[in-house]
Amino acid sequence: MKVILRIQRYNPEKDTEPYYQEFTLEAGDDKVRILDLLHEAKWKYDGTLTFRRSCAHGVCGSDGIRINGRNRLACSTLLRDVNYRKPIVIEPLPSTAIIKDLVVDMSDFYKKYEAVKPYLVNNSPPPEHERLQSNEDAEKLFESAKCILCACCTTSCPSSWSDQNYIGPAALLKAYRFAFDTRDDAGDERLDVVDTPDGAWRCHTIFNCVEACPKEINITWHISQLKKRLAQREM
Amino acid sequence: MAYQPKPPAGWIKTNFTYYKHSGSWAWILHRITGLGLTAYIYVHIYALTSLTQGPKAFDDEMKLFSTPVFKVLEWLLFSLVLYHAFNGVRIVLVDWANGARYHKKILTVVYGLGVILFIGMGILMFSAHGSSIVASTK
Repeated sequence: MKVILRIQRYNPEKDTEPYYQEFTLEAGDDKVRILDLLHEAKWKYDGTLTFRRSCAHGVCGSDGIRINGRNRLACSTLLRDVNYRKPIVIEPLPSTAIIKDLVVDMSDFYKKYEAVKPYLVNNSPPPEHERLQSNEDAEKLFESAKCILCACCTTSCPSSWSDQNYIGPAALLKAYRFAFDTRDDAGDERLDVVDTPDGAWRCHTIFNCVEACPKEINITWHISQLKKRLAQREM
Repeated sequence: MAYQPKPPAGWIKTNFTYYKHSGSWAWILHRITGLGLTAYIYVHIYALTSLTQGPKAFDDEMKLFSTPVFKVLEWLLFSLVLYHAFNGVRIVLVDWANGARYHKKILTVVYGLGVILFIGMGILMFSAHGSSIVASTK
């Protein structure tokens, strides 16, 4: 069957504004991935079409794009998941600087991610073996540790669109992952970073991040746990 | 040079075109009803200034407010109060309880309770029987 991809294009050397280009492609069935169609467009029709992808199996998080108005991974989205009877609109992640076509500048995303100290801080001397943790304590972190940093959540958030300084759902999720880790000693140091109007308190519980997350993490729930911890330490 | 969508035009367009689901509609409605209620506060304060112009001015105004058009507007105002109040409780549950895990179910309750109370208020305000109940409480 024939499907049409309507892809947003932008070449920094030629264009002043992005524009849309349509590709009519042949898809075997509705189990074809959007990434396969992007490959076909690039390999068969226009080699200059630029997008990121690495593992192509929903693990690396590099092919986060906007498909029919919604942030998703191109490799984890099948044709049957979208309305393919009309042209499928493919755009880069919203409100980010576009480097070329579907490739966006992730520097700001990583800067905010690094601000929450996304690593274990432990001031005691390293033990002979690994630092152990109970199963119950580890289970509290499993969901948040599934994040693959695809930026689908942060770039889907209306608070991020209107406030460029908002740290965003991905960084807040990572702050939860370490703030609720019983082996971590950073404590207040990390919480101070998110206890600002541009931190956890900018989350207006819109749930766009939860809808966008390809790993099905309930990010808003994790941010709500951070908010509770921030309020508790004031008491 | 990387292309940077210009704010605010960029985010206004994104707000309009991004995929909507029950959570984002709940947020949009909360904003709209919040703005509506804030606007109503000003109308309310302005209407009360007739108190300074003597009993006749006030009675005339009350007569105007009891006309069908104003009664319908009052009923619609009640819908804003209902939604904003119940969704406000939902937001508290999301932030301070485990509501983020059940926010869609809570939203169903918000809409359900809202519709029931809105219809109930409509019956009280517009039916002859309802009006007699209201009159008997005065």
